[in-house]
Amino acid sequence: MWTGERVETATYFLLIANGTVLGISAGFIMHRSGFCLSGMFRDLFLFRQVTMLRFLYLTVFFSSVLFEATRLSGLLAFYPFPFFGPPSVTNAIGGCLFGIGMVLAGGCVVGTLYKLGAGSMLSLAAFAGLIIGSTVYAEIHPFWSGLRSATTFGGTATLPQLLGIAPLPLVLVLWAVSWYFYRKWHRAGQLQLESRAGGFLQPLTAALLLTCLGIWSAIVTGMPIGITTAYAKMGAYVETLFPGDHVGSLPFFTDISRQYVNPLTRASLGWSAGPWFDAVSAMQFPLIVGIALGGALSAVLLREYRIYYRAPVRQYLSAIVGGVIMGMASRMTPGCNVWHLCGGLPVFAWQSLLFFVGLIPGAWLGSLLLVKVIVK
Amino acid sequence: MIRQTCPGENGTRESRPHLIEFDIRGQVYPSTLLAALREIDSHRERIRSGAVKLLFRTDNPHCTKTIPDAVSGMGHDVSVSRDSDHYLIIIGRDT
Repeated sequence: MWTGERVETATYFLLIANGTVLGISAGFIMHRSGFCLSGMFRDLFLFRQVTMLRFLYLTVFFSSVLFEATRLSGLLAFYPFPFFGPPSVTNAIGGCLFGIGMVLAGGCVVGTLYKLGAGSMLSLAAFAGLIIGSTVYAEIHPFWSGLRSATTFGGTATLPQLLGIAPLPLVLVLWAVSWYFYRKWHRAGQLQLESRAGGFLQPLTAALLLTCLGIWSAIVTGMPIGITTAYAKMGAYVETLFPGDHVGSLPFFTDISRQYVNPLTRASLGWSAGPWFDAVSAMQFPLIVGIALGGALSAVLLREYRIYYRAPVRQYLSAIVGGVIMGMASRMTPGCNVWHLCGGLPVFAWQSLLFFVGLIPGAWLGSLLLVKVIVK
Repeated sequence: MIRQTCPGENGTRESRPHLIEFDIRGQVYPSTLLAALREIDSHRERIRSGAVKLLFRTDNPHCTKTIPDAVSGMGHDVSVSRDSDHYLIIIGRDT
């Protein structure tokens, strides 16, 4: 019989190994297919193109069906996923700011990583911005937390919970609608893209593979893929290098009330943004490193890996500012586009629906700023 | 963006079009596409007449589809090839 300490240690190893493999896989797949969630919304507003948005839609559809199948099979220990709560107006505000930030940064929190791994110094600038923004959020956390509480409405986390039904009927409705669009797009040849890029992975295949990774994450960790709390934790670590104990004075970093329970081992671990090792460190740091490594591996195998740093100063400023806005928004929402679009939307989470509603005008505004200010 | 011109093989314009080169590697998308479209638009008559060809060096795989798609819609010839660790997109026709 394992003691609690051995179970805890084993859980940390499980999370680290799982995060590393998931991250490398996701980074590789997204690099090969150009699966940039930020670009999908940006191209809609800049070029009236919905080509890649179709595949995002299909990712949500596939995820919805597979999450429900996994739930019905008994493999999902927690449903809805942990950390999805009742909706708040702050979810939409955060989504809007996130949309602005991800377009200006040239990629979302995941896109930034795989492009950084492939050698993009602009993405490194965005990465630095993400850490800065996530850390700056700690200064406004008490105010924002109060605003979140004041604007929280309803008592349910998901639409099925509000309706008092199991998710299956809604998933079946989504299936019926999505099947119509899938066949329509398939007949029009819009689901197979021509590409002259080496090693191109069809986005439809990428959507299926990324969905499988999301399901795997939910089974092993109990939640969808998410990485943004780790950015705040990184910022906290950096801040401790400076004199004084400013980190210790910020409730956002010192709050240790949240607990994470692993569905396989049932170990209960700490979950915080503070500068110490806990479940966030074990789960999200390997994911972050893994996604960058996956992008690097893909680029190296294609013989396309190179450190690219020659870009206009405006684009570097845009990347940093976009990263800062995205970092703050990921804490204000809370959560990022991958967490909400690929994790929460498929299970009809209210917070994710509001995030999506806010993301659209944010991406529009970000695209406008990009064209009028950055690339002119 | 680095810009170079390469005269024709015999130093004359009559034998082959001038090749104007743009290095857009390392830049964020869609600035690469927008910059390419801007240059194509400013040289459009000379491209159509065969006086010049434009060459874009890019490391962004997305550009290898979006630039040719946009250019084809304008009626220009376009080719995409690989050069070591990046891509070459050449717009224009031989005279």
